[in-house]
Amino acid sequence: MVEEAQPAVTCRGLVKAFGTGETRTTVLRGVDLTVESGEMTLLVGPSGCGKTTLISIIAGILSADHGRVDVFGTPVTRLRKHDLPRFRSQMIGFIFQQFNLLPALSSIENAAVPLILAGAKKMDAYRRSTASLEQLGLGAELHKLPAELSGGQQQRVAIARALIHEPKLIVCDEPTASLDAESGRTVMLLLRDIAVQMSRAVLVVTHDSRTFSFADRIALMIDGRISASETARDRPRDVTQ
Amino acid sequence: MIGIGLKMLFADRAKVFGLVLGVAFSTLLITQQSSLFVGLMLRTQSLIADAQEVNLWVMDPTVEFIDSAKAMRDVELQRVRGVPGVAWAVPFFRATTALRTQEGRTLNVLLIGLDDDTLIGMTHRFVVGGPADLHRPDAVAIDYAGFKRLWPDESPKAGRLLELNDHRAVVTAISDASEPFSSAAVIYTRYSKALSYFPSGRNQLSFVLARAAEGYEPQQVAREINARTGLKAYTSSTFSMVTMKYYFTNTGIPLNFAVVIALGFVVGAAIVALIFNMFVSDNIRQFATLKALGATDRWIIILVSVQAGVVGAIGYGIGLGVAAAFVAALDYPTSELRGFYIPWWVALGVAASTAMVILIATLASSRRVVVVDPAIVFRG
Repeated sequence: MVEEAQPAVTCRGLVKAFGTGETRTTVLRGVDLTVESGEMTLLVGPSGCGKTTLISIIAGILSADHGRVDVFGTPVTRLRKHDLPRFRSQMIGFIFQQFNLLPALSSIENAAVPLILAGAKKMDAYRRSTASLEQLGLGAELHKLPAELSGGQQQRVAIARALIHEPKLIVCDEPTASLDAESGRTVMLLLRDIAVQMSRAVLVVTHDSRTFSFADRIALMIDGRISASETARDRPRDVTQ
Repeated sequence: MIGIGLKMLFADRAKVFGLVLGVAFSTLLITQQSSLFVGLMLRTQSLIADAQEVNLWVMDPTVEFIDSAKAMRDVELQRVRGVPGVAWAVPFFRATTALRTQEGRTLNVLLIGLDDDTLIGMTHRFVVGGPADLHRPDAVAIDYAGFKRLWPDESPKAGRLLELNDHRAVVTAISDASEPFSSAAVIYTRYSKALSYFPSGRNQLSFVLARAAEGYEPQQVAREINARTGLKAYTSSTFSMVTMKYYFTNTGIPLNFAVVIALGFVVGAAIVALIFNMFVSDNIRQFATLKALGATDRWIIILVSVQAGVVGAIGYGIGLGVAAAFVAALDYPTSELRGFYIPWWVALGVAASTAMVILIATLASSRRVVVVDPAIVFRG
């Protein structure tokens, strides 16, 4: 009961600035945010409002100047620098706008990278990677290089990579920005299934208003702060349309 | 991990080609120049190396190295023989002169006169005939390289007539003497014949070759010879070192080779470091992705090291192979570079220098990978 009540992510009073002196720019000005497991949370807002900075801090890629982030009880902002890679490899699945697949690796190899980084044996990693890709409908593309795949297929390989090590939090940065409408819709449906059926917390940064209908929760970020937050209950929608 | 690193590396074939070429060029230059240098230094003591039965060389006190022999009185041979610990001692004559063939060809030669009875002091390697053939009238043995320079189209055979300072000589044997520093042909003959071929005043004894008796240390006997005769005496190994050291310190050879070797190292390191840095820069987003996915700095450094190491190993192999082919291609009898080879320790030293080149390239590039902000993966 206690574990179910624990939020996936809690951010309290996050402050982050870049630069020094006259060029110093404060990007986050005291962000408070909660992300729940089993939900897909969209982080929306105008360019430069600090969305990417926020998810970078939540994912343990950037450090905060002030404030606190907890991910499933792990105080990310208090982890030492050399503990962050392990935190990321165990807790976080990443999906990027540009996919960021390694161009020299096949789909199987790309999807297996997190397991290999975690020290898994190659054959075991490839077996799990194959299963994951087949689940995502990429059984015929296992040995293809990213350049031989469509944008949608590449993003599905990236999703397989994000899920293969069974992270509790999936962080997505504009996952549909490089995709056509149909591929974008497929990806969003997949992400929502991951959140709901696999009980993961999915945090998506997006500009794409077509994706809003898939969200369980939408947090609006303006000028370095969360200015509004609404849940699916607040608005009628049908994600299957 | 190694698989990921290698696939990343070989995906950029142009840079791999450039990297391998840089390492191979550096390896080739350093190996080839080092081998030539070592070969030249070894040539300086070729006469000493060929006289295998000898372990003591006795000479005039003013002699600094083997090619600066100052003739001694014949009586010195007897004095050396009288020193306790000397098993035997024989005369040795060396001089440079020129020969002429019946066809009129001339050639500079290193004329070596050996003890008439024992012929001690010559190589044991013969292509045609053998030491016994030097006991025949007017007999000389010419080295194979010299024979091929005089008669390039003929297979080696005895019976050719030569003129040495207007004296008749008959080639009765063909030796495989080590190439001397001067690249002159090596002519062996009996001591008495050598003196007739090259009359040069009262004193004609270039060296006394000796061997320490059983139970005596050659160094101790050398000191004893020096103490009792006033002559300079070295063991063979010491005389070799003294001779090489003379050439090393009194000629521009080491400096010339050192400059080229250093250039090979610096240019190789610069090319490899530059291209490898470009490779890392071009792939920085991939490294950042790996870091975002959880790769530690240590993992990344190992990955980069494996990439650099593989390039280094391939380049080293190619460079060493080409250097070996170069040495082999020039190892024909009339070649000025015959007899050169790549000693194992030169290959090992070049491997160490290649490793240093790779280390420099890795260090120059690793920092970029380690400090790269994984947050760049979120930038479009």
